[in-house]
Amino acid sequence: MFTSCVLTIILIAIAIFAALYMAWSIGANDVANSMATAVGAKAISLRQAIIIASILNVCGAVLVGKHVTSTIQGNIVETSLLTDHSQILGFLSALLAAGIFVTIATWKELPVSTTHGVIGGVIGFGLIEGGIELVKWNSVGKVAASWVLSPVAGAVIAFIMFKIIAYCVFGTKNPVKNAKKIGPVFIVLTIFIIFISIFSKTKAGEMLNYTWEEYILLSFFISFMVGVFGFLVLKKITGKGYDLVERLFRRLQVMTSCYVAFSHGANDVANAIAPASVVLMLSWGKIDTVYLLLLGGVGIAIGITTWGYKVIRTVGEKITVLTNTRGFSIDFGAATVVLFASKLGLPISTSHTVVGAVIGVGLARGLEAVDLSVIKKIIYSWTLTLPATIFLAIVIYKGLQIIF
Amino acid sequence: MPIRAPVGDTYRKKSPFTGLLDHMKKVKEGISLLQEGILNYIDGDYESFHKITEKVDKIEHEADLIKGNIRAHLPSSVLMSVDKRYFLWVLREEDAILDHAENLARMLDMRQTKIPIRLKEDFKVHMGLVAETVKEMEKAVKNIKDLIETVFSGKEREETKTYIKNIHKKEWEADQKRYEITEKIYKMEKSLSPMDEYHLLKMVDWIDDIADHAENVADWLRAIIAK
Repeated sequence: MFTSCVLTIILIAIAIFAALYMAWSIGANDVANSMATAVGAKAISLRQAIIIASILNVCGAVLVGKHVTSTIQGNIVETSLLTDHSQILGFLSALLAAGIFVTIATWKELPVSTTHGVIGGVIGFGLIEGGIELVKWNSVGKVAASWVLSPVAGAVIAFIMFKIIAYCVFGTKNPVKNAKKIGPVFIVLTIFIIFISIFSKTKAGEMLNYTWEEYILLSFFISFMVGVFGFLVLKKITGKGYDLVERLFRRLQVMTSCYVAFSHGANDVANAIAPASVVLMLSWGKIDTVYLLLLGGVGIAIGITTWGYKVIRTVGEKITVLTNTRGFSIDFGAATVVLFASKLGLPISTSHTVVGAVIGVGLARGLEAVDLSVIKKIIYSWTLTLPATIFLAIVIYKGLQIIF
Repeated sequence: MPIRAPVGDTYRKKSPFTGLLDHMKKVKEGISLLQEGILNYIDGDYESFHKITEKVDKIEHEADLIKGNIRAHLPSSVLMSVDKRYFLWVLREEDAILDHAENLARMLDMRQTKIPIRLKEDFKVHMGLVAETVKEMEKAVKNIKDLIETVFSGKEREETKTYIKNIHKKEWEADQKRYEITEKIYKMEKSLSPMDEYHLLKMVDWIDDIADHAENVADWLRAIIAK
């Protein structure tokens, strides 16, 4: 009895440590990857990026992080057929496999995704414990499809946003006047999407207990008020020419960088928290997911402040050619896709979506030159990640079975 | 420092358009030197022309290095906001301006041909028109940054079209002058030594070549902004 108690504590400690490590890794690299656009376009400073990313990642994780978490926990492997013990060891090995793989990939500078790593890990232990039938291939297929679709969707939305700016602002006789008109519309749109996502099917929504019509009205009201405020702020900015257009969008990009950070927290927190929370719940008892999401969010924030700032700085320096109208389109495209995926419970790669959005603006003739060779690297990383993490998870699972 | 952030890999360290503008600065420098040199040559100051020839030679070489650098950093994986082939043609034609400037300078430097007094003024005007064509081309190329910013639409597109029209106009004027000079040379053929006549005819052709390539740059720019 005593030894089993000690073993449980050890398992819990490993799970928490591994989850925090994953969260740290996400904060250090993935968040930095998506915040670098705003810093590169000089919409926000490095310090502001760290503060925004830390706070809003926690918000996104806590408010909207639940959906993806439950997908990873229950939709990859048929857990109801497994004993508690094999589930604990299984999710722990998935987490460790993803952690180790991501560490090696980071060291080798491969553009892999933590999300893909975790899914691979979960599939791995499912395969070794229950065979091919235990894995829910249907939903794994959906998740895998979302990995390809999310960068494409990011590209499409960023392309459309940039085309709207090109047509409604730059293509007109008075770009500044039109930028001031269209700016508040973008604000209303962004805030509306964020609030709808916060209210629908979440803890916050349940607490208010409104009908969905009321949520839409409320979200619209909030976004409209912010839009009016934005209109007044943008109106005051004076200057001349395209430089002023960019300065107006610089303000808007402060908003979209918050949007990116929020969406990021909503999607990626699950990678760290989903496996660990299964381990904790089964070995410790019922814990409110919100606390775990909070823990994941804080872990990500720590990752950003301890290592992520270096990545933001390095990448930001590389992309100083980016202007704010472009940066805005990229941020909006990426964040919208990531947030929608989060609501649908699809664990996607935020980094790959951001790259998709950059290419989208490039295809809209918005960027002087985009290097598409990164696509090849990302496709390699797709084909590499799953087999590698499946294999690692199997090895770790077998090892844990011997020990525990 | 190991980082795993693919977004950084999508951007080029230096924009090819910045390279194009750097290259254009060399063209500007080279042509204004050449113009000064040709005026000296026409006035019979062959010594200072020789010095300028050396300078033009050096500038042409520097521009070549810039051109090579731009081309080397445009692998097929790079997607540009303009058709890459058109961009490379702009660069090539821009470079041809300096090639011809260098050729002209070196060829004239080899044989000190005395320009007949009756032609001096015409040659000076012709050189002036050619230099103006290049100057208009510089304006058009410089506008490319604003064109990209506005996604090849609106006011900047119209502005580039105006510059292109000006280039064609100046090039046409230069052509007219060239025919006028050529005709005058033929009329003077009895009083000129065959070698002098040959060299004068060549000189007016070589000068005019520069304007032709400036016009080619304009044509490729027009293709770039075509909808």
